[in-house]
Amino acid sequence: MKIRYRLREALIGLSFIWIWIVGFLVFTCYPLIRTLLFSFSQVKITADGVKTTFIGWENYRNALFLNVEFGDTLATYFVETLVIVPIIVVFALIVSLLLNVKIRGKGIFRTIYFLPVIITSGPVIKQLMDQGATTLPGIQTIIEMSKLHESMPELLADLIVFLLTSFITILWFSGVQMLIFLAGLQKLDSSMYEAASIDGASRWESFWKLTLPALNPMIIVNMVYTVIMQSVFSLNPVITQIQSAMYDAKYGMGYSAAMAWIYFLVMLVLLSVLVLVTRQRETNR
Amino acid sequence: MASFQGTKMNPSRFHISQLKFYLILAPLSVFMVMPIIFIFSHSLKPMDELFAFPPRFFVQNPTMDNFRFLLSTFTVSGIPVSRYIFNSVVITVVTVFATIYISAAAGYAFSKKNFKLKNTLFSINTLALMFVPVAVSIPRYFLVVKLGLINDFSVNILPLLAMPVGLFLLKQFIDQIPNELIEAAQIDGANDFTIFRKIIIPMTMPAIATIAILAFQLSWNSIEPATLYVNDEELKNFAYYMSTFTATNNEVAGQGISAAAALIMFIPNLLIFIFMQSRVMNTMAHSGLK
Repeated sequence: MKIRYRLREALIGLSFIWIWIVGFLVFTCYPLIRTLLFSFSQVKITADGVKTTFIGWENYRNALFLNVEFGDTLATYFVETLVIVPIIVVFALIVSLLLNVKIRGKGIFRTIYFLPVIITSGPVIKQLMDQGATTLPGIQTIIEMSKLHESMPELLADLIVFLLTSFITILWFSGVQMLIFLAGLQKLDSSMYEAASIDGASRWESFWKLTLPALNPMIIVNMVYTVIMQSVFSLNPVITQIQSAMYDAKYGMGYSAAMAWIYFLVMLVLLSVLVLVTRQRETNR
Repeated sequence: MASFQGTKMNPSRFHISQLKFYLILAPLSVFMVMPIIFIFSHSLKPMDELFAFPPRFFVQNPTMDNFRFLLSTFTVSGIPVSRYIFNSVVITVVTVFATIYISAAAGYAFSKKNFKLKNTLFSINTLALMFVPVAVSIPRYFLVVKLGLINDFSVNILPLLAMPVGLFLLKQFIDQIPNELIEAAQIDGANDFTIFRKIIIPMTMPAIATIAILAFQLSWNSIEPATLYVNDEELKNFAYYMSTFTATNNEVAGQGISAAAALIMFIPNLLIFIFMQSRVMNTMAHSGLK
């Protein structure tokens, strides 16, 4: 009897998940494995099918050591993402705290702050970027760039410029993160805060001691989400490079597959750095 | 600061202590609305303003010329526009509902059920999210050929269904639902499907609405299936049709047309957002948990 019950349970569980598993295996997993195989071989697409010859690590070697541009782009991507992701998450946290306060017109504000989601996930963002609408106009002239470069090491100066010019992008890419934070915030029990304030905690203290630890899982989720969204964003320079290599007869499919896998590994390192730092804080407490 | 709010979204009266929040929120919200205004104003720009350097944000002499150009090219091609729009509507509706169902069902199983390889599968899903989408397009093409789906209407829908983001987001939201609630429902005699329909779906409405918006965007704007897998003009979608204008026309006229096309393509996105946003923002408070 027990076994039959467990079997039934398993079948019910399976009935929820099987469509996803099939779709995932066919349309996501299989192509992924195929690119992994491609990355180790020379791929020739001929009239009667694909011809692959195994060449070992050569594609990787070429992409990493012979292609100067690719390494450069990867390095820039790494630094920029490492900086911008925490900023987006912190910004989303601040905004969601503000949007969780009891004020009039909160619903309207929430809608407005969520609005850019339809911009950034659509094709319109490209047009906006081409037009320069994602940067603050005139910011370059307001701060004297030359002075900034004189007084600071170049990498730091570049970073500051990057942050200032991409300020609007930060605002636009925080919609879903904000939603995740808001959901987390609304689960918090108000009696906890009352207890804290009776014990003499200020609002500031109760934010650090109550709100933030409670939101920690959300912060990790948001970190992951933001890294992924930033990295697979279709206008990301690394992606455009991979794409152009793919359709370029000089490089070919195998080479670009290797590039994609290198990029994937870099992204993985980046993600684990960010997640580990966030986790660290949790265990120290 | 973060107090639990009841079912009422807004406090009924304005108080001077709220002013400091407005001072921060209002200026930032200007930036948030900016892109929408830009799309509208851009499509109304006459030729000289489209090419103005430095580019202007607001239109100065609004004109409907771009739309007139676009309409005149509409009539030239062989297949009526309505056909493309019909295809797009069918594709989008099916994709959105199927994506929601698949992601929610899988998210429920991943979050509340125990089975072998559960964590491994979910990690693979998260990792798959990170892989460069363009890099898999060629293997995916081979796959579509192998499955015999080339020139099949369903190819517009199927590749979009396995949306890893959807599962990722929904699992995070379903994790928030306390197990006690589900146990209580089980004691009351609810089976898994009832729990799924009556508890999981209503309580994760904000996430579902978000995924609906994302899935809508994905399928409404995607030109990949139409360019890669479908040769038959009658099976292609509206996004593809619109993209042909911007690609084939000459550079100068193309700019205006593409600005107008962008607006037309964008309006359904905006509508779905307006339709969905109240669900995104409101339901968390009704869910009956703290």
